[in-house]
Amino acid sequence: MALEFKLPELGENIESADVTRVLIKIGEKVEQNQPIVEIETGKATVEVPSEVSGIVDSVKVRVGDKIKIGATLFTYSTAGATLKKAETPKSQKPEISQPAVKKESEPVITTKTQAPGKVEFRLPFLGEGIESGDVTKVLVKPGDNVEFNQSVIELETGKASVEVPSEVSGKVLEVKVQSGAKAAVGDVILIVMGSSSTPVKEVSKPAPALRVESQTKQASETQEERSKMFVPPVLSVTKAGMPDKIAPAAPSVRKFAREIGIDINEVSGSGPSGRISIDDVKLFAKNLNQKIRKEGGLTGGIGIVKETLPDFSKWGDTERTEMMNVRRKTAEHLSYAWSTIPHVTQFDKADITDLEELRKKYSKTVEQAGGKLTVTAILLKVIASALKKFPQFNSSVDMERKEVVYKKYYNIGVAVDTEKGLLVPVIKNVDKKNITELSADLAEISRKAKDKKLTIDDMQGGNFSISNLGGIGGTYFTPIVNSPEVAILGVSRGAMEPKFVNGGFVPRLMLPLSLSYDHRIIDGADAARFIRWVAEALENPFLLNLEG
Amino acid sequence: MSTQKELAVIGGGPGGYVAAFLAADHGMDITLIEKDTNPGGVCLYRGCIPSKALLHVAKLVREAREAEHIGITFGKPVIDLDKLRTFKENVVNKMTGGLGQLSRQRKINYLRGTATFVNSNTVSIEKNDGTTEEMSFKNIIIATGSVPTRIPGISIDSPHVWDSTGALELKEIPENFLVIGGGYIGLELGSVYSALGSKVTVVEMTSGLLPGADGDMVKILEKSLYAAFQRIMLNTKVVALKEEKNGATVTIESDKGREELFFNKVLVSVGRRPVTQGLGLENTGVKINDRGFIIVDEKLQTADPSIYAIGDIVGNPMLAHKASAEGKVAVEAIRGHKVAFEPAAIPAVVFTDPELAWAGVTENEAKEKGLNYEVARFPWAASGRASTLGRNDGLTKLLFDKESQRIIGMGIVGVGAGDMIAEGVLAIEMAANAKDIAMSIHPHPTLSETVMEAAEVFFGESAHLYRPKRK
Repeated sequence: MALEFKLPELGENIESADVTRVLIKIGEKVEQNQPIVEIETGKATVEVPSEVSGIVDSVKVRVGDKIKIGATLFTYSTAGATLKKAETPKSQKPEISQPAVKKESEPVITTKTQAPGKVEFRLPFLGEGIESGDVTKVLVKPGDNVEFNQSVIELETGKASVEVPSEVSGKVLEVKVQSGAKAAVGDVILIVMGSSSTPVKEVSKPAPALRVESQTKQASETQEERSKMFVPPVLSVTKAGMPDKIAPAAPSVRKFAREIGIDINEVSGSGPSGRISIDDVKLFAKNLNQKIRKEGGLTGGIGIVKETLPDFSKWGDTERTEMMNVRRKTAEHLSYAWSTIPHVTQFDKADITDLEELRKKYSKTVEQAGGKLTVTAILLKVIASALKKFPQFNSSVDMERKEVVYKKYYNIGVAVDTEKGLLVPVIKNVDKKNITELSADLAEISRKAKDKKLTIDDMQGGNFSISNLGGIGGTYFTPIVNSPEVAILGVSRGAMEPKFVNGGFVPRLMLPLSLSYDHRIIDGADAARFIRWVAEALENPFLLNLEG
Repeated sequence: MSTQKELAVIGGGPGGYVAAFLAADHGMDITLIEKDTNPGGVCLYRGCIPSKALLHVAKLVREAREAEHIGITFGKPVIDLDKLRTFKENVVNKMTGGLGQLSRQRKINYLRGTATFVNSNTVSIEKNDGTTEEMSFKNIIIATGSVPTRIPGISIDSPHVWDSTGALELKEIPENFLVIGGGYIGLELGSVYSALGSKVTVVEMTSGLLPGADGDMVKILEKSLYAAFQRIMLNTKVVALKEEKNGATVTIESDKGREELFFNKVLVSVGRRPVTQGLGLENTGVKINDRGFIIVDEKLQTADPSIYAIGDIVGNPMLAHKASAEGKVAVEAIRGHKVAFEPAAIPAVVFTDPELAWAGVTENEAKEKGLNYEVARFPWAASGRASTLGRNDGLTKLLFDKESQRIIGMGIVGVGAGDMIAEGVLAIEMAANAKDIAMSIHPHPTLSETVMEAAEVFFGESAHLYRPKRK
């Protein structure tokens, strides 16, 4: 039986690691201390050396897998085990030749290693949950000779890129897939002219024992070779014994739970001896659904204990009004953003003295085009360029899949103060519009917001938000990131300040900027660079053309 | 090549035909491929059914003989071997013929022949009429079962050496009969020949009969086996067999040394091995483990998604009822249901006299796994019904989880144990606790009362067995 090598203890507090490289292959000989995999533990990247030596039967991990201490990395057989396997056909010899003494009328049926003539090679089972993949490379062409185990295609499965080894040998007649195509498990990949010319099955009169033996040997060797290639990681033999834990539930209840996707072992039974009834399963499913609904599928609510409100009327008169829809949504959304995103706010100031002159100079022109040349409109253009330069600010974090989603479009939300409360309509494809167009868009969307004409579509799809409170006043503030975005720029009122230039103070119009960002994906230095770039772009609009 | 059909089942044993019948009942288009004239497989043709027919006869003979203790004496039995063989064959033909009819009623395409995989979905069928046909299927269930294992170095080709199939043919009643292997097949067939008049010797390599079964139960069975058999040799193995004119000289070896013994016939019953040879599995993605069993997941699907495997070929226990249950799961899975083969108990029965049966966790297993369990035993000496039968050689025992008092295992040795074990299976599957069993009224006077009383023993309040519970 194949032996297993498991991920050894790596050090204190390290329980799991990400596989970054797999350094062994099926069929390869592994020596003691030879590195098997490279893993990243959150603390360091290390190569894991083998503690055993032998031939690798199967590799149980792939690049990108998260593995725990004790997880099987690969299975292997030692030289002794291989020898044993090779001997099996011998001991089976009498059984094979046995039909020889049976009634003459019974034909002896023997099998050959491979079908003659055309053989189809189908995409084999590649692992749990992998049903198909994209063919990224075809490594053989018609006319080539392929051998057992020779890689024939490269497949991208969503989990990893794998080379698929052939399970047949012979001359390639036809390649049924091409690069870029999708291939599902069971699809024909190749049609091969088998190298053996003997029929698959031959009906023969009792044959000399020696010949039978050599055939079976050949057959079982192939079998062995095949079994080396893919050992599906999750399959196991049905055990003679029972599973270790059997939930106290009748077979019909266990079946019901399985059908509706509930793990019966998680259900607590209300009956005697903890017996689980159909109703217990239904209740469990109902509670589970409610829980999911309540959490909105969030992982949130991190340790927040709900506090009950005091009776305010003890201290004076009160009046209760229903929370309006917008208010309620804002409350829920911002609570979520605040509790899931580790916020940091970076402050900076931009000298917009020159920009202000330009703004005034061109405001008439823009007005004729139906817009209003505001700092916000200019900022839209600046931010779009900044997002291109700093793509992590144009991303979202997918904690469930442990992935970062980078967006290739540039939509920016603008916070608008309305009677109903805060709304954040989104200006789409900001990078493809000039400032005049953006000014018109902004005027249009603000009007829609105030007239309560915004559609759901207008409110969705933002990558970044701008909140300009400059019209009201204030110096700096700490805006909350509009999740699932990862950053927001807060703009306060520009004010004349003395600036030390060329040995003397000069009055300059300074605009306070506050950039709040999601520290999970953005580091402080990046944020400082981002806000500085924005400030410089405002100070020197030429930078937009130069770098933006 | 014709178009793909829906489902093929290779092998018409109790796994294969149950799967095929269920699939047909759900309106699927089924092809059942089997060598024999009718469905039935080893179980009906060469296993469970013929051996039980003969064991019934053995019991009859023994009861007639023992009747003299209660004042009724029959003459020495005269055995008409041909007639007995015909009885057995009639039983087999009736059952298999019935299955053939049931198969036709369900419009199953029953093909007599052997199948070899060409690829994951295609089999080449070598039909019994000599023709060959290639057919493709969306799904294929392998249910090819098992055959008796041989002992390396001992030729089965000798007419004096039988396997279970040979022994069931009932060609003759050997005077001296050696049974190699003290498992259930050896003990059952040894019992048959012993009742028919053979002097039976059993040789077992391990230290006890029925390896795996609990010692306290085997001990009760042993008492009657030691009386019925000439000799039972434990820790002993056969090292050589020399064929002679009327039998074979067998060399056995134990720690006491070597011994040469003569037997007219030798039965090799040292186990069974799965039949995968010749199936052409190398043309599919099916994987086999190091013991030759096909590797399947919980829904009996092999590593090749279109192929399922059930019964003896996927592993122990090699029992007909396990194969049937797996067959149903495989068909449900193919029909797209989320199912799993996850029984809480698979009953096992040894049809000796007395019978020995168990379900769920055995005491051996409970100890091995370190379970927190408690045993309640009710010896049949205290059973009224057992006394009326003159068969107080029995024991009913229940294993409970100490904390929840839930039943986790049952073992019975005694006459009719095989039929009674079903109550244990139901109780275990339904997660009954000791109180449930104790409070379910069992009919009096029957042997089934011993189950209820054993549950009462658990509480120290069995009416017929004074065994107060220690506080």
